[in-house]
Amino acid sequence: MTRFSRLAVVPLLLSMSLPFATAAHAETGVTDTTVRIGQLGALTGPGYFTGKLVMDGADIVYKEVNKAGGVNGRKVEMVRQDDRCDPAAAIGAAKKLIFDDKVFIIHGGGCSNASIGAFPEIKESKVPWVIFASVADSLTSPTTPDIFTTALTASIESASQLEFALSKGAKRIAIISTRDAWGRARYEALMEDFKKKGIAPVADEEIGAEANDATPQALRLQQAKADAVLLVTFPKAGAALLRDAAKIGYKPILIGTTAMGDLPVLAKQVGSPGALDSMYAISHVRYMPEDKEMADWRRLFTQYYPGETMSIYHLLGIASAQVVVEALNQAGKDLTRASFVKAMDKIDFKSTIYPGAIACTVTDHQCHKHAAFVQLVDGRISTVATTSLAK
Amino acid sequence: MFAYLLASGLTLGALYALAAVGLVIVVKATSVVNLAQGEMFMFGGFFGFLFHVQLGLPYVPSLLLAVAAAFLMGGVVYRAAFRPLMKSGLVSVLLASIAISFILKGVARAIWGGVGDYVPFPPMFSGPPVQLGGVIVLPQQLVVLASSLALLIGFASFFRFTETGKWMQAMADNAKAATLVGIPIDRLQHLTFALSAGAAGAAAVLMAPLTQLYPDIGFGIFVKAFAGAALGGLSSLPGAVLGGFLVGLIESFVAGYVGSKYQDVSAFVVIMFALLFLPRGIMGGAAMRKI
Repeated sequence: MTRFSRLAVVPLLLSMSLPFATAAHAETGVTDTTVRIGQLGALTGPGYFTGKLVMDGADIVYKEVNKAGGVNGRKVEMVRQDDRCDPAAAIGAAKKLIFDDKVFIIHGGGCSNASIGAFPEIKESKVPWVIFASVADSLTSPTTPDIFTTALTASIESASQLEFALSKGAKRIAIISTRDAWGRARYEALMEDFKKKGIAPVADEEIGAEANDATPQALRLQQAKADAVLLVTFPKAGAALLRDAAKIGYKPILIGTTAMGDLPVLAKQVGSPGALDSMYAISHVRYMPEDKEMADWRRLFTQYYPGETMSIYHLLGIASAQVVVEALNQAGKDLTRASFVKAMDKIDFKSTIYPGAIACTVTDHQCHKHAAFVQLVDGRISTVATTSLAK
Repeated sequence: MFAYLLASGLTLGALYALAAVGLVIVVKATSVVNLAQGEMFMFGGFFGFLFHVQLGLPYVPSLLLAVAAAFLMGGVVYRAAFRPLMKSGLVSVLLASIAISFILKGVARAIWGGVGDYVPFPPMFSGPPVQLGGVIVLPQQLVVLASSLALLIGFASFFRFTETGKWMQAMADNAKAATLVGIPIDRLQHLTFALSAGAAGAAAVLMAPLTQLYPDIGFGIFVKAFAGAALGGLSSLPGAVLGGFLVGLIESFVAGYVGSKYQDVSAFVVIMFALLFLPRGIMGGAAMRKI
C-alpha cells in the first residue's frame, strides 16, 4: 500500500464508523437520532382500507413530528409490511418487521383475522404492538404485557350498542346477527351484556352475511314488537334488512356496528328512501373528515396526499399515531421497549379525534372505551351521541 | 305474514329458476354440471353494471347488452375451456369448470373489486314500495317476477317451436342418435353454453338491484340453483323452473315460520332430500332401465 493510499484509508474508516457511532443504542430499532416503527396491515386486496389508509393517516402525524424535530430528538422512520388481510401472509409480514426490519414497535393490525394470525409471532417476540384497527377481543384479552389496542374492541362495541339502545329509551330490544366467527364473538358478548343488565332480547334472529332477502327476519322482528334492533352483521345483510323493514313499514331504532359505519354507501345499497331514518352506527372516531374540527388535518392530508380523498380510516390512523407519539414522548430520552410499554401502561391521552380519552392500565390494554354513534343527516354522516364504558 | 313470505319467496324463486334453467340446459346438452354457472351469473351482472352504471345507459338496453355480452362470454368459454376437454371425460370437464369459476372471479375482482364493497345497482324503477292487495312489494320485485316469467316462456317457446330448439332437445335425449341424423352436436353444445350464460346474465341484471353485486356472489346463487335443479330434475327444464321456485318459497317460509337460523341451511336440506328420495327430481321422469 502506498503512503497516499494509507492516508486515504483513515478518513474512509472514520466515515464508515460514523453511522455505527450514531446507531449505538441498546435497543433494537432505536438510534440516538431515529426510532423505527413497523406498520402492519393490508396494503393490497379488499381489506386495504383498514391497512393502507390507516397507515397513510398515521404517517401524517409521524411526518409532522419529524418536521418539528422528532420525539425526544429522534426522527420517526416508518416501514410497512403487507398482511393482505390474510392470516398466513400476516405471519410472514410480522416476521419481516421483527427480524428483517428490526423495528422498535409495531403500530398496525387492520383485519382481525390477519392480526389473530400474526399474534403468536408478535407476542413471542415481545416487540410492543399498538393495534390501530383490529377489533378482535382475543388480541388484547387476556392482557398481554406488550400488546395494546386503540381500536374499539368487538365486546366494547356490543356493550355500547346495548347502552345506546337503552339511552334512547328502548324497552323491547332485539338482536339480529350473522353467526360467523366475527359475528359470534360479538353476539356472545352482547348476550352477556343483556344478562348483566338483567334483560332478555325480545327476538334473536339470524341472517346470512350475504342474504339477498330479509323479509322473514323483518316480519319476525315486527311480530316481536321490538322497538330497537341491534344489528350484528355486515353491510350486505344489513342493507337487505333495512330495505325489507322499510318495505313492510317497520321502523324500529336500528343500531349497527362499525362495520356498517359507511352510511352514505349503505343508503345506496338499501335503495329505499327513508329506510335509514332511524339507523345509527358506531364509529371509532368522533368527527368525520369533512367536519370543521378536522380542517387542520384535512389541510395536511391534501398536502401529503394531493388528489386523494380523506376518509374515516385516515382519521383512525391519525388518532392512533397521536397515542403512539405521546407514549414515545412519555418514555423519555432513554427509549427502550420496557420504557415504552411502561408509558403505554399508564397512558391517558385526551384525543381530539376519538370520542373520549385513550386510557390504558397495567391490567387493561383495551384502551378505547368511548363509542361515537353516527347517523345520516342530510346525506352526511353526523355524530349524534357518544357512550362511555370507561370505569 | 303469509302473503309477504309468498311474495319474497316467489321473487327469490324466480331468480333461482332462471339460474337453474341455465344449469339444466348445459346438463341436457353435455351431461355436465357447469360449476362456473354462478360466476357466469356474477359476470353477467357486472356487464349490466358496466352498461347501466359506468356507461350510464338506461336499464333495459343495459339488460339486453349484458345478456348479449354474457351470451358471447359463454360461447368463448366453451370454445376455450370446455370443447377441447369434452372427449377427455367428465372429471376433466368438471375440473375445467372449477378453473373457469376461479378465473372469472379473479378477473371480476381485478376489474370491479378491490375495496371489498358490495356494488349497489340502481333498480329499473326507483320509488316507494307499492301495495298489491294486502301486500307491499318493491317495484323491482315486480320487475323480476314479470321479466323472469317472460324469459322462461321465451325459453320454453324456443325449445318447443324452433328447429334449433328441437335439435337441442333431440341431442339431449340421445346425442348419438342425433349425430347419426346429421344434427351438428358441436355447434349446438356451443350454443347451449352461450344460451346458459345469457340466461344467467339476464337473471343477474334483474336481481342485482335486490342482491347488489360482488365478485363472490356466484357460489351462493349456484348452490340455490343447483338445489332447484336437483329438486325439479336435472334433466327437465320445467322441473328446473318448478324446483327454483320451490327452493325460493321453502327458504322464505322456513325462515318466517320455523326460524331465521334455518334460512340458509334449507337449500342444502333440499339437495339432500332430492338426492335421497327423488334422485331424478320431481319432473325428471322414471329411471330408464338399460337392457
